[in-house]
Amino acid sequence: MSERLRSSMVRPPPGGGRHAGATAFQWLRRYFPFFILGGAFLWSAVTIVTTRVQESPPGTITLHISHWQLETGVKEALELMARRYQELHPNVRVVQNIIPESAYGTWLTTNLLGGTAPDMVEIPDSSKLPHDVMISYYSRYFVPMTPYVSRLNPYNKGTDLENVPLRRTYKDGMRGAYIQELQDYMHIPLSLFGVRIFYNKDLYQRLTGKTKPPADYREFLAVCETIKSQKDAQGRNYIPICAANDSMWAWESQMFDPISYSALRKVDFDRDGFASAEEVYAAFKTGLIDFQHPAYKARYKVTWEVTGYFPVGFTGLARDDSVFQFAQQRGVFLSTGTWDARSLIAQADGTFEIGVMDFPMPRSDDPEYGAVVEGPQYEGMPEGGFPVGITRTSPHQDVALDFLFFMASREQNEKVNDVMGWIPITIGAQMDSFYDAFAPRLEGVYGALSVLGLGGETRSRYQQLYTLFQSHDIPYEAFVAQFEPFYKQRGAVDFEERQRDWRRDLQRNEYLLGAMRADALAAAGAEAASKWVKYRAMTASRQVLAEIDHNRKVALVVQGPALGAAAPYEYSPAVLQKIRARLRGQ
Amino acid sequence: MGSSQGNSAALAVCVVLSLLLGGCAEKQGIEDPREQVAAGWSAYRLGDFTRAVACFDAAAARTPEKSDVHVRALYGLATTWNLRRPDADPARAEAVFKRIVEQAPEHDLAAWSLLALARMKHLVPVGDDPDYAAVRVAYQECIARFPDHLAGEEAFIYQQSTYVATLKQDDARQAAAALERFIAARPRSTFISPAYYLLAHCYTTLRQPDKRLAAMIRAVDTEERDPLNPIQDKALGYWMIGTIAEFEAGDLDTARKYYRLLIDEYPADIRCYGAKTALKRMDDLEARLRAEAGRGAGQGSGGAQR
Repeated sequence: MSERLRSSMVRPPPGGGRHAGATAFQWLRRYFPFFILGGAFLWSAVTIVTTRVQESPPGTITLHISHWQLETGVKEALELMARRYQELHPNVRVVQNIIPESAYGTWLTTNLLGGTAPDMVEIPDSSKLPHDVMISYYSRYFVPMTPYVSRLNPYNKGTDLENVPLRRTYKDGMRGAYIQELQDYMHIPLSLFGVRIFYNKDLYQRLTGKTKPPADYREFLAVCETIKSQKDAQGRNYIPICAANDSMWAWESQMFDPISYSALRKVDFDRDGFASAEEVYAAFKTGLIDFQHPAYKARYKVTWEVTGYFPVGFTGLARDDSVFQFAQQRGVFLSTGTWDARSLIAQADGTFEIGVMDFPMPRSDDPEYGAVVEGPQYEGMPEGGFPVGITRTSPHQDVALDFLFFMASREQNEKVNDVMGWIPITIGAQMDSFYDAFAPRLEGVYGALSVLGLGGETRSRYQQLYTLFQSHDIPYEAFVAQFEPFYKQRGAVDFEERQRDWRRDLQRNEYLLGAMRADALAAAGAEAASKWVKYRAMTASRQVLAEIDHNRKVALVVQGPALGAAAPYEYSPAVLQKIRARLRGQ
Repeated sequence: MGSSQGNSAALAVCVVLSLLLGGCAEKQGIEDPREQVAAGWSAYRLGDFTRAVACFDAAAARTPEKSDVHVRALYGLATTWNLRRPDADPARAEAVFKRIVEQAPEHDLAAWSLLALARMKHLVPVGDDPDYAAVRVAYQECIARFPDHLAGEEAFIYQQSTYVATLKQDDARQAAAALERFIAARPRSTFISPAYYLLAHCYTTLRQPDKRLAAMIRAVDTEERDPLNPIQDKALGYWMIGTIAEFEAGDLDTARKYYRLLIDEYPADIRCYGAKTALKRMDDLEARLRAEAGRGAGQGSGGAQR
């Protein structure tokens, strides 16, 4: 309190009572704003404390879970789970922290580093945090789930899963929750996802006269052409395929890339079944393959044909724009995942019916692509989605784990996914027949063109030119003419940088192995035996053998494949001689 | 105002000092050196290396030299100085690892310290080349002093990998001989599968496909399995054996056997389509070769008749 104020308060007013009243009024008027502010602060504080006490009486455990799922139903589904869990455990409440997708990686990093991360965290995918960064985060900030995945789930009591360990109650065996680099399960997934083409059944029938979706590539192109030729009430042409800048990955992985499969036999030098970035680069550099290979040409030609039915300027559109086009019935087809299904149905709002179809790969009898398309595309068993990890800083790790077990039980997993509109991951959990179309394709072909894998300038240049190609600003010939020489020349530099990154990985592995060894040394009995198996597996695969595989790749890039050698999947004359000799001996 | 600034500064100094001086024991009230060692490893895992060092230091200071806990504290300390990023201090790490070996030469962690000293020589900063002669000598010291210890066997595997990784025939020959001896002498070693894998690499370099195939089959057969690991399966191993048998050894029966194992045991594996294609390809090839042989024989007998 200032001296001036104190003196004005204690001295008797020289002018009597009237003067005293005036002075008090002046004083009140002068400090009135402070009283208002103070009162508001006091009221806020009391309200907050009272509400908190009502919501969380003493002894309440509050679990926080963060995620970025703004799709229809997710928030409601988790609220339902929280309520159901609270019915069983009245002292536990669950609070959601919903963070926008674009800021999730940064937000999580800040909170993990600051020790303020929530108890449970939806694990970000590599578009939000690079995989190697997430590996170090797992190691530092998350509780390994391995000790718990063999436990029975108490919330499956009374079902045929009652005596089944948690990981075996999962459709994917919790494969996606296992982090190879750490040799540990690190999260509990809650859903399965699949990607297909959604289409507006009513609009499709109205514009094409067909009731069944296109069964193959040629029919798909034909209906797209029909759709594109028609105009809506405002005189605008219909958009056959609603798409945005992030639509390409689904089309590429599900339809375009598998067309390049037959090139694998030229470039898979180590015959591990995959075309690595180094192998593809070595094959290009030594002239064993180029962009004129029929499988590569077909892959890009199909891309050109399909993107011709995307909206003009789609590379500048965001995901919400393509969903908006679809919801507004401006277009017929939209490729996306099960995570958008409930939102799309909600946006259709009964005005049109939504159907789901597979990606229309060219068939083996296709007049143009039949010679290079060897089979259906391989999709594989989907791995668990909506993965939730528990942070080391959580003061209630055991309660958080119990809540995740609760959501992973058959009954609750069915319910939570029903409300979210996603596919349940627990065996026996029922789902809407709408999702039958998402049954995974477990046999087929896959891509053999990993140009982007070299990273660096090669990647940037490819993306620039490929964007122009997708939007039909440059034809394939110009794309190849500009990219291929650059790739062959600049790829060597990017390859060298990749080698340095690889060396850094060895150092990081050594740090992780230090922790694994310490764990194994501190353990006893069966637990120690299990930990040593993991330690040796990681030592062998990531430090000992990886270095030799790596050196072979370096030699391949630097020296090229052996002159005159047979292609990886061709019989050399010497091998044919051996086979003949064996046949004669039979 | 000035006084307020002074108070803030004093408060900031207090906070910083309390953070800096708050060691392992003071912060968490840990007095037991064993618990301090455990806390040190927890901090190491979290990447809180300053605290890890404080915990290991505190444990080492509270325990008599050569005692088990003291050695464990020193090992944690040396590991942290070696592998912390940033601010690694290899010289300090090396000194502490050597102290462990001197203080407790028979201790379990002396073996791991010798291995760590060799790894430090092997894993040099990015851009530098290791001095392989010195690296091999360092591994050899661990092998010689602890031949039956897990660390000794790991040192052997790393040591041989330095020869195999050169991809030179002379080195591959030398490593193959050493690995064959190791496999014969220690058939129950937990590093037997990596030894077979290295041997298969040697025979790749030496262009001996039949021996490569045999080594690969043994490597896959003897691989340790973590029953909790859903990813560690034999699918890749079966595929690799199938392709080596088919395209290098010309042993189509073995190729068929392993392609079929892949299809039967891992029907959802990405390579199943390739395996089925391979089975058809081999059938077609054999049919063609038999037809050629039949024609040749027919022509031969026809010629003789004429």
